[in-house]
Amino acid sequence: MLAMEIGPDGAIVVTGRLDAAQAASAQAFLDKVQGIATLDCRGLEYISSAGLGVLLKTHKRLLASSGKLRLAGVGPHLKDIFSYSGFDQLFEIVPGP
Amino acid sequence: MEAQNRRHRLSAEDLETILGVTSALAAPFDLMTMLGEVVNAAKQVLHADRGSVWLFEPASDELVLLVATGIAPVRVRSGAGLVGACAHERRIINVPDCYADPRFDPTVDRATGYRTRCMLTLPLVDHKDALVGVMQVLNKDGGVFDADDETLATALAAQCAVALQRVRMTEAVIEGEKMRQALEMARVVQMSTLPSEMPAVPGYEVCGLFEPAELTGGDTYDLAAIDQGLLVVLGDATGHGIAPALSVTQMQAMLRMAFRLGADLDTAYLQINNRLAETLADDRFVTAFIGLLDPATHRLRFHSGGQGPIFHFRAATGTCVRYKPTSFPLGAMPLAAARPPVTLEMAPGDILVLLSDGFYERTNAAGEPFGEARVEALVAAHRGGRVTALMDAIVGAVRDFGGGAAQEDDMTAVLVRRDGGAAALSREFPRSFASIDAMVAFTQEAFARLGVDPALKQAVDFTVEELFTNMVKYATGSASPVRVDLKAIDGGVEVALVDGDVERFDPTRAPDVDIHARIEERRPGGLGLHLIRRMVDSIEYQYSESTRQGRIVFRKTATGPTARAD
Repeated sequence: MLAMEIGPDGAIVVTGRLDAAQAASAQAFLDKVQGIATLDCRGLEYISSAGLGVLLKTHKRLLASSGKLRLAGVGPHLKDIFSYSGFDQLFEIVPGP
Repeated sequence: MEAQNRRHRLSAEDLETILGVTSALAAPFDLMTMLGEVVNAAKQVLHADRGSVWLFEPASDELVLLVATGIAPVRVRSGAGLVGACAHERRIINVPDCYADPRFDPTVDRATGYRTRCMLTLPLVDHKDALVGVMQVLNKDGGVFDADDETLATALAAQCAVALQRVRMTEAVIEGEKMRQALEMARVVQMSTLPSEMPAVPGYEVCGLFEPAELTGGDTYDLAAIDQGLLVVLGDATGHGIAPALSVTQMQAMLRMAFRLGADLDTAYLQINNRLAETLADDRFVTAFIGLLDPATHRLRFHSGGQGPIFHFRAATGTCVRYKPTSFPLGAMPLAAARPPVTLEMAPGDILVLLSDGFYERTNAAGEPFGEARVEALVAAHRGGRVTALMDAIVGAVRDFGGGAAQEDDMTAVLVRRDGGAAALSREFPRSFASIDAMVAFTQEAFARLGVDPALKQAVDFTVEELFTNMVKYATGSASPVRVDLKAIDGGVEVALVDGDVERFDPTRAPDVDIHARIEERRPGGLGLHLIRRMVDSIEYQYSESTRQGRIVFRKTATGPTARAD
């Protein structure tokens, strides 16, 4: 399961698994995000390539209007995925949430 | 009974019409024709001026009007209006004066200029009691619909419902078949881009594999001898289905074309990334390793867009060096300039190991992934053999690991191994027990340099020491050193001990030790040879009278016998 919500500090809090089955609902949520957005990944247990696609699409959309999607709270497991996929070179990964 | 009585009042003409209609309903195989037949049937049987059929969509809980003579398509929620009420309550609604009924919606009349006087609305329920849709007939010739018409319409509705359901199911099957054929076509296109045979590269052995999953994934590989060197590609487009299969096919075609036109590695990578960034959907990308090996300098330069891990097995150390991707996946973003490629040196016996995530992510019954450590261990164990044997070992291990579970993702692999260089290593040792330590150090070094499975070392050391000890003990008259030759063979090693200036003595013909004999009957010696024969795959003795040289050759492989218990 996957849950997404806007946290008290304005960051998008994602919890659960962002896999192919959850990609569409995650995309629908992120489609509403504007400007410079931070995705709090502390609760993100797993991300598949479909999930990476969702982040990429959102990031591209925001970049087009001088915004971006930043990733925060990236644990070691996710860090591996981001670095093995080269996504660490596309996204700003910020420390802390 | 009442219905039967009424049926008696059917005119012969009515009956003929109904039978004609029923047989007409058996013919159509497409939905639009069938809807037309149903409407025509209703109009004929009920002597109505117009008719329409609303199809029920359970997913949206809506009724959809696809066909109505002269009326545009509309959607209504189940429960709303006359159609919705009929669907909801599943009963016939006979309205003799529409404009007097609050449920009637005159919008359509207003739009078309038609005036609906009376209307019969009835549910279409199939023989499994599922709602298929709602049928409406309007304006009976010269009057309103009566109870007889209701009975007739109910009989007709049951026929129509079954006929419609049959067509809808047939269409679903046809859609599924179309999808299957499209996938098959995409698969054929994808497979056609794979190399039909492995390129011959002097000093190297290469091997590629593509094991498609049930659903088309987007994997591909390429191994080709081109002007720029050996092209090595492993790619994986996101997702399953037709799109990713075509994305990787497109990438591969562009790569081959770019190199044929003389592009260098960096330009080709940059151009293809930017072209894919333009053409792929925003959430799509292709992870790909694209490398060029110069077989003369043994330098492999590569870019890897999100494709990792990349394993470089180094024969000298017996371990893998892991490389991360050099960049993000191809097509994710346009690049202004390519970063410089990574260069790695392929030393003798080194292996480049590229596996798609279908290997690493294959899970066992406990949900644990196959992972990288298992791959590394397999590479180390099969380092000395042919890469095809290593490939078989990896695929076999992943299959066993996954148990009987269906393969969910494509499994694609590329292995490139530089030949063992000095195929054999030799060293001479003074004929003395003091040489044994140096011999053990020599086999250690030779195993690493030749890429021989370290698991075989103990048996080889044991055998070398036993044979050498025999030579020292029995050929006391000779002063020449003993030479040891080590050569990598498929799956293992061949070792020769060459003994100069000696008499013929064939240890392989020495009688077997009776290991079951009582202690007082056991003669000293011979036990070492007894064990060797059971430990190695083969052992043979050669002797040359002219040079007075004895030569013992034995082979030991990972698949050969271990010590047999007799």
